[in-house]
Amino acid sequence: MSASIDPECSEKKERYDTCFIKWYSEKYLRGESQTDECKDLFKEYQICLNKALKSKGIDAMIEEARKTSPNNDNAKHG
Amino acid sequence: MVKFYENAFSYDYQWPAVTLAYFLRYPNPYSTHVISTDTLASELDPVTGNLHLTRLHLKRGKLPASVARFLPKIKESYILEHSVVDVKNQRLETETRNLDWEGVLSVVESQVYTPSAERTTRDGKTDVQTIVRFESRLGSGKVVKDVEEKRGFFSNWTTGSVQRSIELVGVRRMREGLGRSREGMKVVLEQLRERGMVGVLREQRKGGWERWKKAWRGEGELMDDLPIERK
Repeated sequence: MSASIDPECSEKKERYDTCFIKWYSEKYLRGESQTDECKDLFKEYQICLNKALKSKGIDAMIEEARKTSPNNDNAKHG
Repeated sequence: MVKFYENAFSYDYQWPAVTLAYFLRYPNPYSTHVISTDTLASELDPVTGNLHLTRLHLKRGKLPASVARFLPKIKESYILEHSVVDVKNQRLETETRNLDWEGVLSVVESQVYTPSAERTTRDGKTDVQTIVRFESRLGSGKVVKDVEEKRGFFSNWTTGSVQRSIELVGVRRMREGLGRSREGMKVVLEQLRERGMVGVLREQRKGGWERWKKAWRGEGELMDDLPIERK
């Protein structure tokens, strides 16, 4: 499993990643799940990650890029 | 100036395994330049059942000397990855692009993973279509924030020659990068088959990559991966 951009978040990231990969391979790929079961772990991880992105000064750049992506959720949904 | 490169190849694995390997592909012995990977968004569309994932990769730049003299400050670069898994139709679409140097050199790689129609092996195959959109924006008039400052590096060179240098290096690196990422995926797929998911995660934590690399060295068949240029 890959490292987080901030070592502070690595533990939370690992917990989330482990949950996600398990859910993805054992449920989602088998068509057995319509809900994301790792939401709580994701939230915890995001609190740490967002702080890290902000302190590195790259949060605005990322937000901007996500808005302009030709493949972003708004363009793709439906 | 915009260029497109196309490439098609197949993995000898079923589509579900290939998509799992895609999300688990770092770290692998061919990804030592990838410093970190973080998930920015994970959304399950309640209507379509599609899974949308956004991730951020931080990569160490190993710039060749010929380009390093133009861009002395590039040491790391941020890559934004967006992927959509359509499990009902067995289709994975991915898009990766560089962020921080987008104003000077923009590389967008789009891939589509689908089960291969040709089922020659017992386990089935997965086809991957890759299109890379390659754009160097020097002198194009499109100026995004921060680019003016970065362009200061180029002030002593004629735009045309710098642009050509960057494009040549960019194309070569893209070819090398595609080959490397494919080899990395193969290692992860092989390990998934042999050890299962838990085994792969354990190995990635321990960092036993050198052993994997040794086992793989010389074993993979070389495929023709020269991109076709579309004008």
